[in-house]
Amino acid sequence: MFWFLLITCVTEMTGIYVKGLYLADRAHVRPNSWVYNIFIIFEICFPSLMFIKILTKYANSKPTILCGLAIMYLVYVYEVITDGIFKKHNLTITLMAVLFVLYSLYYFYCLLKDESYINLKYSPAFWWVSGILFYYFGGTACNIFYNKLSTVIVTPKHYLTYYIYNALNLILYSCWSYSFICRKWLTKTSAA
Amino acid sequence: MVDKDISGLIIITTLIFLIAPAFLVLYIFIYNRRKKRHIEEKAQMQLTFEAEIAKTQYEVQEQTMQTIGADLHDNIGQLLSLTSLTLNSIELDNRLKAREKVDAAIDLTVRSIKEMRLLGKLLQGDQLVVSGLSEAIRHEINWMERSGKYKIKYTRAEDLPAANNPDKDLIVFRILQEILNNIIKHAHASRIYINLEYNEGTLKLEITDNGIGFNADELTDDQRGMGLQNMRKRAVIIGGEVAIKSNPGEGTQISIFIPYP
Repeated sequence: MFWFLLITCVTEMTGIYVKGLYLADRAHVRPNSWVYNIFIIFEICFPSLMFIKILTKYANSKPTILCGLAIMYLVYVYEVITDGIFKKHNLTITLMAVLFVLYSLYYFYCLLKDESYINLKYSPAFWWVSGILFYYFGGTACNIFYNKLSTVIVTPKHYLTYYIYNALNLILYSCWSYSFICRKWLTKTSAA
Repeated sequence: MVDKDISGLIIITTLIFLIAPAFLVLYIFIYNRRKKRHIEEKAQMQLTFEAEIAKTQYEVQEQTMQTIGADLHDNIGQLLSLTSLTLNSIELDNRLKAREKVDAAIDLTVRSIKEMRLLGKLLQGDQLVVSGLSEAIRHEINWMERSGKYKIKYTRAEDLPAANNPDKDLIVFRILQEILNNIIKHAHASRIYINLEYNEGTLKLEITDNGIGFNADELTDDQRGMGLQNMRKRAVIIGGEVAIKSNPGEGTQISIFIPYP
């Protein structure tokens, strides 16, 4: 988890830096999409591995999730070959969102089916999956209409997608932060 | 203009796509709370059941103790007093009479020993339930027949399930004890028929007497409270029911249906 968040921070900072360069010299510098395209490699991998870990309690989901992982990487390679690295890999992102939403819904289904009671208020897995569901399901409209949205400017400095993704990021990281707090509480309780 | 339309549409769609998971999360929370309540209710029911089993166990033992107390006083106590009197009245000079009295004392002592043996078996009575309901019923009947006041006919089906359920056996046995107590106290009966059978997962115990009978509708709350309602309550706890058929002058038939094992 730590490494993924570190990679995310590095990506975001690199993205801002490249964007600055691009705005200064549009003729010679490419937009920062390539930075996020590289980040997709980690973005596909990390939540998939987390889902394997979370769903182990309920079912043997490893083969299915690994299969999904392979398909996402195949689509990613396909997009690299056809569109190159500088164009945003929207197909991979959409597929990733669909698969992660399906995994989240499957987790909730298992949770409902499970006869034992879990206090969801303090369940790290529940809040982690909720964050994923809000982020990827909420971003569906943006992913589908990405080509149209890339021309819609709300303020002179920012596109509409900027605000939507900021809001989604806020929800995602709020849920994840609370999930980490719950995890910490649980560790403390177990230690006591 | 087109940009504004698209912006509005995307914002609304995104909001809807955020509201949907929010409702899902809310639903899971509500469902989870219900699940918790259900688990708590189940645990409470289990506690009630266990308390009822413990109470029944205690009542069976108490009934046994009462019977033993009464028997020691009325039967063995009398026999031993008589033995003592007989031995005290022996005149050693008159060997012939003394011989008769010693023989009488020996006879009384043998009868006391027999009674003591029966009492010993009765003490194991509540333990008998563990080894099977039918065995416990037979033992209870043997004890009741000793008084000579009742002719009891006991029939049991051959196809009773091999697997026992000790908790259910205990409660059925206690209900039977209550019914027999009621017959002794109120029915003025001379014949009792007890039938135990098993059909499609249901155990049926039927007790019929030729006593004075009663009208169930005319019983006062106190009369109904201790016996009949207790029987019904206990049967319900193990998922069964009690059916009572009775009319003044026509005897009483009580049937207990219990899902078994």
